Amino acid sequence: MKISLNWLQSYVDLSGLAAAEIARAITFLGFEVEGIHASGAPVLAHVVVGEVLTRDKHPNADKLSVCTVSLGSVLGVKTIVCGAQNYQVGDRVPVALPGAVLPGNFVIRQSTIRGQSSDGMMCSAKELGLSEDAAGLHLLTDRPAPGAPINSVLPPGDTVFDLEITPNRPDCLGHLGVARELAAWFKKDLTYPAVHFVPEHASPTPRPDLLRSLRVDAPADCLLYTATVITGVKVAPSPDWLRQRLTAVGLRPINNVVDVGNYVMLEYNQPVHAFDARQLAGQAIIVRHATEGEKITTLDKIARTLTAHTLVIADAERPVVIAGLMGGLDSGVSAGTTDLVLEVAHFRRQSVRATSKRLALASDSSYRYERGVDLHSLDEAMHRCIDLLLATTGGTVAGPTLRVGGDVPWQREITITPAYINERLGFALPAAEMQAALERLELTTVRTDPTPDRGPAWTFAIPSWRDDLDRPIDLVEEVLRLHGSDQIPAAQIIAPALLADDAPIVAFNRCVTDALVGQGFNECITYTLRPEKEISQWATPSESPASTGFDKSKIATEASRPTSDNPKSKITGASEALALANPFLADQSHLRPTLIAGLLETLHLNQTRGGASARLFETGRIFLAHDGQTWECAAAAFLICDSERDRTWLRRAPADFYSTKRLVETLATAAGIDLVRQAVTPTTAPSHGWQAGHAATVGELQHRGWLAQFGLVDLALVQSLGLEGKIHAGLFAILPEKLAASATRRRHADFSLLPAALRDLALVVDAATPAADVQKTLAKLSRAATGNAFALESVSVFDVYSGKGLPEGKKSLGFTLVFRAPDRTLTDDEVNAALAKIQTAITADGTISIRA
Amino acid sequence: MLSESPWFNLPFSLPMQDQLSALLAQAAAELPAIASRPAFEAAKARYVGPHGGLTALMKQMGALPKEQKPLVGKLINETKTRLQSLLDATLARLAAAEIAAQLGPAVDPTLPSPDPAIGTRHPLTLVRNELASILRKAGFIIADGPEVETEYYCFDALNTPADHPARDAQDTFYLPADVRFGNVAKKSPGERYLLRTHTSSVQIRTMLQGPPPLRIIAPGRVYRRDTVDATHSANFHQIEGLYVDKNVTVRDLKALLDYIFASLLGADTKVRFRPHYFGYTEPSFEVDLSAQHLPKVNKEWVEICGCGMVDPLVFSGVGYDPEVWSGYAFGIGLERLAMMLYGIDDIRYFYQNDLRFLRQFA
Repeated sequence: MKISLNWLQSYVDLSGLAAAEIARAITFLGFEVEGIHASGAPVLAHVVVGEVLTRDKHPNADKLSVCTVSLGSVLGVKTIVCGAQNYQVGDRVPVALPGAVLPGNFVIRQSTIRGQSSDGMMCSAKELGLSEDAAGLHLLTDRPAPGAPINSVLPPGDTVFDLEITPNRPDCLGHLGVARELAAWFKKDLTYPAVHFVPEHASPTPRPDLLRSLRVDAPADCLLYTATVITGVKVAPSPDWLRQRLTAVGLRPINNVVDVGNYVMLEYNQPVHAFDARQLAGQAIIVRHATEGEKITTLDKIARTLTAHTLVIADAERPVVIAGLMGGLDSGVSAGTTDLVLEVAHFRRQSVRATSKRLALASDSSYRYERGVDLHSLDEAMHRCIDLLLATTGGTVAGPTLRVGGDVPWQREITITPAYINERLGFALPAAEMQAALERLELTTVRTDPTPDRGPAWTFAIPSWRDDLDRPIDLVEEVLRLHGSDQIPAAQIIAPALLADDAPIVAFNRCVTDALVGQGFNECITYTLRPEKEISQWATPSESPASTGFDKSKIATEASRPTSDNPKSKITGASEALALANPFLADQSHLRPTLIAGLLETLHLNQTRGGASARLFETGRIFLAHDGQTWECAAAAFLICDSERDRTWLRRAPADFYSTKRLVETLATAAGIDLVRQAVTPTTAPSHGWQAGHAATVGELQHRGWLAQFGLVDLALVQSLGLEGKIHAGLFAILPEKLAASATRRRHADFSLLPAALRDLALVVDAATPAADVQKTLAKLSRAATGNAFALESVSVFDVYSGKGLPEGKKSLGFTLVFRAPDRTLTDDEVNAALAKIQTAITADGTISIRA
Repeated sequence: MLSESPWFNLPFSLPMQDQLSALLAQAAAELPAIASRPAFEAAKARYVGPHGGLTALMKQMGALPKEQKPLVGKLINETKTRLQSLLDATLARLAAAEIAAQLGPAVDPTLPSPDPAIGTRHPLTLVRNELASILRKAGFIIADGPEVETEYYCFDALNTPADHPARDAQDTFYLPADVRFGNVAKKSPGERYLLRTHTSSVQIRTMLQGPPPLRIIAPGRVYRRDTVDATHSANFHQIEGLYVDKNVTVRDLKALLDYIFASLLGADTKVRFRPHYFGYTEPSFEVDLSAQHLPKVNKEWVEICGCGMVDPLVFSGVGYDPEVWSGYAFGIGLERLAMMLYGIDDIRYFYQNDLRFLRQFA
């Protein structure tokens, strides 16, 4: 919103204040000043008014004229060569004489142009720095006296403030509103525009030949409509003062009727519209909703199709205006218009907004209706508009203004005490200062009641343009604004302990971050929104319980977790379940189902820029689709790329699957989950980003509420992304609500100080048999073999071998069994007897044999 | 060595003495050449073992004249001691050689370690942690909420009217109407899911969870439908603060923000409030900083955060009595703050994760 200082000066005396002081005031009144621009005429010495006496063609140039120009009695008559075409003998124009310096450091000298001496230059508006208009001379239509210094006849330079008006203050979308604020701030009087027109001045004779009727069919969307007929109008350029004000705030002057409308809008924040009365079919104005499919071509020459929700102003035949937005092309005011209908109306903001959105059409008018226009200032704005139209077009008002709506009077009062204000502020202001501040904003004290201990209870009448003031707290803000929000005194912080702790997810992230940073990983932050193709690469397909190795016995105990008995959704694939309804960019269309895709992208960037190896991690939310529902999960993921391309004087063994297994166990520990005790499911078929045979999952979302994926990233995928080397990664995801469960306190388990008995046992099994299965069987049989006599303390794998000495398709697993008794040293005999039993038992079904 | 012993300079000579001397000379000659423990054990047996040379000489003692016995006995003991010390020296030499063999050549301590260097926390994490630590001292704990939100938590409960422009599909990311979230509950069935546009939604969730007083911060990721450029990103991070108690004042809010920025940027940092408008606070302010000692801050005042006193309507909406409770809220953009603190001029650096960038903030 551009605000002109000259314009403001019409309502409040700001003379003597520097632009910076005014800008500061505006800032502390609550409006950000986004820019300050000087405009208008600079101080110009040796530039005076001249009257063209004669104009003859230059003898040596087709496009130039040689003129004699009168500069008044003191300066006399000069001869000037001129290239402009837009003037006639008798016109008065600015003349720059030798010695003048025009904007752009343009020095004027006595000169000779194609053999003709020239005593100076007649100037365009651009040459004077008034505007960008360089089309011709700047004609001084007010006909000031020749010889007068140009600054005495041009308006003074102006300062324009570019303001950001907050949505709560639509009243400040007009100069009068900003002037009111500044008057309150600088403690000056506010002078309202003098409005001369009163309805009684209108000619008593109605003109039914121009406007016969006004009807509002949609009173809910049009709260007040006024139509005034003005006849005998001469459409012409606006006077300079009006053109200058509009130009200053960035509007292009059109003609007196349009310019007056814009002026009143920028003064009162009240949009107005003028029709050519002779274009109204049936001499009728009907405010109604459009019929479905009805058409109108708006001023911007676009044909628009309307719906039954579009509020229009129509004549007897067709819509002529989209209410509050834009007029029709053929009903507007043109050069030949002689009779006007002036519309000043109030449309419901939601209606204008909905239409604006639907048509993707916005205007200065719709912007104001959407933000809020003061219904109760409408008459004043209308009278002001009529005044200006009569003054600039020479027309007269014919008959009374037709009017529908606007019957609800405005009344709002707020009662407040100084004690309340001081309590909210936390510091004391004098009661008199508070009351004076509110009154300067034109809140009037209608009543003052004494209270026993809280000072006077003031009841203020709230002006209609301050719809934002509704409660006592709103007045606290007004008092503070006028006191100066930079004047809040310093204070100590009082912070009684609340005995609360951080959310569990915070502890999880912190723990994961500490662990991974300690292991040399660099934390990354990547975008949540990802391209669709990544979803098909990474989204975990809806798992069936059988494929995830999850424990079916858990279903009953975790019945509270939502399961597939939810009503069926149309959403089936992950790609649909994660899609945004309104993506902004094609490659940011979906919620991420993993953190690893972002880490791969990061790796790619770093490999492109030189470094092949990297250890990266991220913590953040991911979104998992399951069984028609989407779940927001907390997640942590890491990626390791140990590239041989990076040269080092001493090479370490690169990370492998088992590196990722340990790291994922660390991540799970941060969530209070002991991954070592969980069943691991090998990834056997190509799926969601992982390399079959070199990756695994633990847990699953639906019943456990968490899952881990780790191992080698699918090599084909890695290559298709243009990445180098083998990339190992791991992800741990958990429903945030799962993190909330507090861990049970551990109990100490006593341990024996007596020596253990160790026995090694090498078992030959099918190469495909998971070691964990054999280990589990061995542990079970060992416990059976020792019975209650002593204990099997642990079974651990110490060797995995296949190849020479073993049959094809077999492998050998070497286990160490540790036996111990709590109360005595075990004898060789009893341990050997147990071992013999174990050996017999484990080979019983023939799938496992003892390696010789 | 032998000739230096006073014992060998006796005025007389004995056959036994010659033999002992010969034995010693032989050991002195042989032992330094021994290179392994088995060879050493064998040599040791030859000299001092039950079948060794010394034992054999000792057995001849009985045949000596009585008067020679004390002297020869003394000679034998002397010899035994000498042999033992030769053997000890040999063993020490072997042990030392073994250790030397285990060690290999000396390291060059100036070579760099090939192992991964300590990792790094992302600069946004560092700034978030720093703010969290500053605010913890003032009793604020960290709360959390979902990034997928519903219209109620993100807008309605925060006093944002149904037709407010911020709710436009032009500015806010929505999810399709038929998507269902397993763990983000809707307040009413007709609501749409969206990506939260601010962390203020966590205020509502926290207040609905329990009664005041409370004091939380909620750092987190937020989303705006915005063109990506040097200062805008499709997702960015905020840190939200909320304090609810009895008699909380504007002055308390100012005191807290003064404290935050003085802690973060130094005691000479100036903070000022400008009136502003947010639907969920009244009065509302934008906060400007003056910290000209920072890089990339060349304006007198830099806007850094929004804040205000919680609007009574927000309290009523979550069931807090606005006549009893008052409070303040503030929101700080983490990227903006980190850019200022570290002198970073492009927000996209945070999301590119160039290791040369990340490693600067270890």
